[in-house]
Amino acid sequence: MTLPQTQDLPQAVQPLIVGVAVGYFLVVAAIGIWATRQIRTAGDFFAAGKGIGLVALSLSIMSATLSGFTFIGGPGLVYALGLGALFIILPAGLTNAMGAWVLAKRLRLLAEVRHTLTIPDVIGARYRSPLAQGLAGVAILVAVVGYMATNFLALGLVISAIFGIDLGWAIWLGMGVTLAYAAGGGIVAGIYTDVFQGSLMAVASLLVFLFALRSGGGLGGISETILANDPGFLAPWGTLTPLAALSFFFVFGMGSLGQPHVVHKFFMLRNPLQLRWYPLVTTNALVVTMLLYFGVGMAVKARTTSGDLLPLALADHATPVFLLNYAPDLLAALVFSGVAAAIMSTVNSFMNIGAAAAMHDLPVALGRRISNELLWGRVSTVLISVAAALIAQHSGALVAFLGIFGWGLFASTLVPALAIGLNWEGATRAGAIASISTGLAITLVFETLAFFGAFSFPTGVTISGLSLVASLLVFFGVSHWTRHQAARDLDPDIRVILEA
Amino acid sequence: MNKSLALRGIFLSALLLMAGYGSAFLPGGTPTWGTWLFLLGTSLIMISTMALGAAKGGQFRGLRLLFAFLFLLIVAGLGAALLLPPNEGPGSMLLLGLPLRAAIVVYGVGLLPVLLVPIFYAWTFPSLGMRDGDLAQIREAAEAARREAAE
Repeated sequence: MTLPQTQDLPQAVQPLIVGVAVGYFLVVAAIGIWATRQIRTAGDFFAAGKGIGLVALSLSIMSATLSGFTFIGGPGLVYALGLGALFIILPAGLTNAMGAWVLAKRLRLLAEVRHTLTIPDVIGARYRSPLAQGLAGVAILVAVVGYMATNFLALGLVISAIFGIDLGWAIWLGMGVTLAYAAGGGIVAGIYTDVFQGSLMAVASLLVFLFALRSGGGLGGISETILANDPGFLAPWGTLTPLAALSFFFVFGMGSLGQPHVVHKFFMLRNPLQLRWYPLVTTNALVVTMLLYFGVGMAVKARTTSGDLLPLALADHATPVFLLNYAPDLLAALVFSGVAAAIMSTVNSFMNIGAAAAMHDLPVALGRRISNELLWGRVSTVLISVAAALIAQHSGALVAFLGIFGWGLFASTLVPALAIGLNWEGATRAGAIASISTGLAITLVFETLAFFGAFSFPTGVTISGLSLVASLLVFFGVSHWTRHQAARDLDPDIRVILEA
Repeated sequence: MNKSLALRGIFLSALLLMAGYGSAFLPGGTPTWGTWLFLLGTSLIMISTMALGAAKGGQFRGLRLLFAFLFLLIVAGLGAALLLPPNEGPGSMLLLGLPLRAAIVVYGVGLLPVLLVPIFYAWTFPSLGMRDGDLAQIREAAEAARREAAE
């Protein structure tokens, strides 16, 4: 749910929208200043000192999962593709419980026993392998810079639309605000701004959904309007092929287990017994926040098919056009700030795991340890952010390209070694290294070939889906082939956690 | 036994998914059987992975029925969208505001698990997740295992 947003938005420079956005930035700044004062160690900076509660965990995971795509690109995708676009969010009823069963308990226990700070730390500990840890760190770093570039561009577009300033300056402004609290307050600032941002997103989404339904005569009224003009839109796959829609379901369902900016938050829960209620709280928060994705796409499609509204020049205009034409000003202002909130909360998580990969995982893989990880964590947060903002200045195809493979790269490199490996004593170091390498190679090679138009897959086959399946098969195959090594690749204390 | 079944399920579903993707390369595009292989693969991998994670001591008692039901729900819901004839058009019957096939997918595959899965997770957490004192016990067991290995 972090696909790129690279198209211009309609201008929304109105006093109320500007005022709410300024108020929002002030609250974020206040949280950042408070959080900076709480940071004492690298453990605080990267893992919040294992000190957060259930609601903070749930809202921060929900906020990190959703980006501006949920508010802008998603409704645009529903408008363009019909109900087929829902297959991206359809697995949400399963993914949080799946993450809790597969990862939450074991990651929290590893943080207790081995004091792990990062997901590559976990992979290194699980397989007794600095190489596997380093490869996971490389995959994360590559994906993070691309992801951050697309999100800075998206944030720049939103800020430019709200304040009416040049896109180049808007990118630096958005990056600067996010960096100010991320470099100072680390993940503590990230978590508590996420709580604020997540609450804002949920309230804004629910209100917009209710408003969208009312404006179209209820869901039945909206459907009848669309069916009279474009019935294929409401077919279960929309305008997609069944294979393409199912591929979304698979990649966004299974891929959720390999998103390091989301699952690393399991390290941070103060009391692991609170995990009992984590899927209930997070799933409901996620579903409420995704109502806008569905409601606005449907409502705008009904308006355009009935002739009330001209067809959109760009699908991504669905939310801004709906808000500026049909929603009360205050609600529009809340949603514009909510979009900025969604992007910033995702970027903040990327900053944190990117800095950890650069200053913790890669040095460990090379047999070195940085003496002052807190200081260098802050320095690398700044460097990665500046690099991503510079890339974001080159808006267009390159940035879109960098953003597209992020989710797939995380999924194909981390799901087998992390999610399956933490639940299967028979997984081996060679299997983990081979599967991470397979995910990296397939994603980078085929995404690059596709970008340059040198190769394309048949309709319905996604590179992210194919690389995830290939990486899983390689993981099983190589682990089976080297099964005599399995016991030697597993430390006794890690075995205790795997059996817990 | 249950855990090994879950692992086999994940491996089998990866093969089904690869076969589904592979079928898209055939002349004439993805055949219907290719879509069905992919549908079965994606349903099986989600449920098998949940079962693998939920297993404690190799078993996931208390959740077998849920996992079986979820697998059938996803296969039946998505399968119905493939099998039922397209009936979307002006004046077609709506179920909770959506045409029949879309309603089955959105409410059945999308929303019903939201109501069920987190409740079952919470219900079985004391037996399959953690209880009071487990954290300290696991920490001690891990320490002891590490000491023993060092000696």
